[in-house]
Amino acid sequence: MAIYTKEEARKILEKALSFSKADTCEINLSGYNSGNIRYARNTVSTSGYSSNQSLAVQSSFGKKSGTATIDEFDDASLEKVVRRAEELAQLSPENPEFMEPLGPQMYDEAITYSESTANVTPEYRAEVASSSIVPAAAKDVTAAGFLNDSAGFNAMINSKGLFAYNQSTDVDFTVTMRTNDGTGSGWVKRDFNDVDKFDADEAAKTAIDKAVLSREAKAIEPGKYTVILEPAASADLLRNMFRSLNARSADEGRSFMSAPDGKNKIGEKIVDERVNIYSDPLNPEVPTATWNGEGQAIKKTSWIENGVVKNLAYDRFWAKEKGVEPVPFPSNAIMTGGDASLEELIKSTKKGILVTRLWYIRSVDPQTLLYTGLTRDGTFYIENGEIKYPVKNFRFNESPIIMLNNLETLGQQVRINGNLIPYMKVRDFTFTSLSDAV
Amino acid sequence: MSNEFFFTRLQYESGDWDVDQRMPSNLLNSLVEYTTLKVDTQEKIITLASDDIFKSPFCYISGHKLVEFTKKEQENFEKYVRNGGFVFADDCNHDIDGLFAKSFERQMEEIFGPSELKKIPNDHEIYTIFFDFEDGPPTTSQELNGWGDDLVHDYLKAIVINGRIGVLYSNKDYGCEWDYDFRNKRWYKIDNTRFGVNIVMYALTS
Repeated sequence: MAIYTKEEARKILEKALSFSKADTCEINLSGYNSGNIRYARNTVSTSGYSSNQSLAVQSSFGKKSGTATIDEFDDASLEKVVRRAEELAQLSPENPEFMEPLGPQMYDEAITYSESTANVTPEYRAEVASSSIVPAAAKDVTAAGFLNDSAGFNAMINSKGLFAYNQSTDVDFTVTMRTNDGTGSGWVKRDFNDVDKFDADEAAKTAIDKAVLSREAKAIEPGKYTVILEPAASADLLRNMFRSLNARSADEGRSFMSAPDGKNKIGEKIVDERVNIYSDPLNPEVPTATWNGEGQAIKKTSWIENGVVKNLAYDRFWAKEKGVEPVPFPSNAIMTGGDASLEELIKSTKKGILVTRLWYIRSVDPQTLLYTGLTRDGTFYIENGEIKYPVKNFRFNESPIIMLNNLETLGQQVRINGNLIPYMKVRDFTFTSLSDAV
Repeated sequence: MSNEFFFTRLQYESGDWDVDQRMPSNLLNSLVEYTTLKVDTQEKIITLASDDIFKSPFCYISGHKLVEFTKKEQENFEKYVRNGGFVFADDCNHDIDGLFAKSFERQMEEIFGPSELKKIPNDHEIYTIFFDFEDGPPTTSQELNGWGDDLVHDYLKAIVINGRIGVLYSNKDYGCEWDYDFRNKRWYKIDNTRFGVNIVMYALTS
C-alpha cells in the first residue's frame, strides 16, 4: 500500500506535524508502485515489481536544520522521526542561506496521472517484450530492452500552513536491436505518462529497421556536415544548455549564461530567432507536477523567446539576494517545432547525415558549452533527398549554442525524457573523427 | 582600383578548387576583428589562366584532387610568384601521400625546380608577425581525424623568392579548420583563425 490518496496523505502529514516543536517544520511524503521487465539476447531475463513509501521531516530552529526519514507511519513512529529531525537540527551549524518555508499556495490541477499506466500488468509487460523479440528474431536481429512503469504520489505539508499533493504515472521504454552479423545496430527510446500513447510494435519496428539499414556501414571523411538530428540526439546536448538556465551560476560567472562584469545574458540574443523554449507543467504531452520541492507553484515559463534569453531560474535565496521575484526551475523543456516530418526533412536534404542518437557525451569547455561524444545506433548518409547508405559512427565536437545558431529547419516535436524536442536540421555540425564502434 | 585588401581563390582546371566555401569570409572577418586593414568582404574567384591574378595581393589554392596546370596556368603561376605575389596553398586531404599533395609538389618542382619547396623553420617570421605561435604552425583538428595520413604535420613548406615566401604550402588543412560561419566565432573560446591573420599580414608586409 504505497499510494495514498490526498486525504490519506494529509492525515498522516498533519499527524506528524502535530508532534513538531521546532520553529519551522516541513514534511514530505512519497510513495510509488513500479514494475519492470528486462530482456536481452531475445529472451526475458528479469521482471520485477517494487513498492515503497517514505516520509521525510525537515525541522529547523532558526537557521539550523535537520532531516530524518522513516517508512512507518503509526503515531509512535511519526513522533520518533520528528524528534530525530529536531535533534539533528540542534546539532547542525547555521545555514546562512536558510529560507523559511512558504505559506499556503495556489496550485493548478496537474494532469500527470493516468489510470491505464497505474494498471499495467505483468502480462502487458511480457507483451511489450514479445513485441520486440518476435519481429527481431524474424529478421535475424537480437533485441535487448527494458520497460519500466510506475505510479506514485508526492505530498508536502509545513508549519506555515502549506499543503500540496500530486499523483503521477510514468512509463519508460528503451530497446537496442543488433543484427546477428554484428555490423548493424538500432535503438529507440519512448517515455509517456499515459501508457495508452505507447506503441510497442512501432517502437520495435523503428529500431529493427535502423539495425538492418545500418549494416556494413561505410566510412566517410569526418568534417562539418548538415545533420538531421532526431530528438533523442539533440535532447542530450540541449539538456546541458537547459542546465545553464540558472541565474545564480550565471551571476557568479560560472556558466554559459554569465556575461562580463557579474551580469548575465537575460535579454541577449544567443541563438536563431526561430528558437523558442518554454516549460509548462500543464502541457498534455509532457505534464509535470504543478509545484516543486520548495512548495512553489510552477507555471508556464518562457526561457528563450525568438532566440533571446527571456528568463533564468532564481531560487528563493538568490532572488532575495538580487531583489527579484523567484523564478522556479523548469520541470520540463518544450522547444517549439515546425511541420516537417522526418521523411520531409530527409527529402529536402541535398547532402547530409541522419543521426539517431548521441552517447558518451562529455564536457570539453563549460563556458562555451562545448561537448564531445559519439553517434550511435543508426547514422546514415543522405544524398539528394534519400538515405543512401549507413556510415561509420563519428566523434563530434559541438556546442548546443552553435548548433542552434546553425539551424536550418525545425521539424515536428517528439517527446523524449519528459521534454518536447523537434526534429532539427542543422548546418555545419562538427564531426571530428571516426569511431569503429558499431 | 580600390585600396582594399581582397581575397583571391584560384580556380584551376584539373581538380576541385571549390572547397571550404565559408573559409574566406571567416578569415576576412578576423582581419576586420584584429587589424586596421581595409578589407573587401567578398571573396574573388579568379581563374589561374586569367591575367586578373596579377592584381591580387594574396591568392589561395586548395583541393583534394589532381593539380596539373595547363600551360597558361603554369606560366601565370610562375610569373605571379616571381613578381612578388603570394600564394597560400592548403592541402584539403591533410595527407602528404594524397593526390593533392603529391601532384601539387610535382607541379611546384616543374615550375621552380627540384627541392625549391622546403620546410620553413618554426621560428620563421610568419609565426610571430601578428599573433605569436611559439611552436610553429598551430595544429588543426583535421589532422588526426582518422582520414588522410593521420599525422600532425609540425611544419609548413614554402618556396622562397628573394628571401620572401612566394608560395606557402600546408598539409594541415587550415581551409577545413576555418570553414564555418564567422558569426559563430564569438562562441569559441579561442579563435582558431588567428594564424590566418599572420599569413595575410606576412603576405602584405614582408
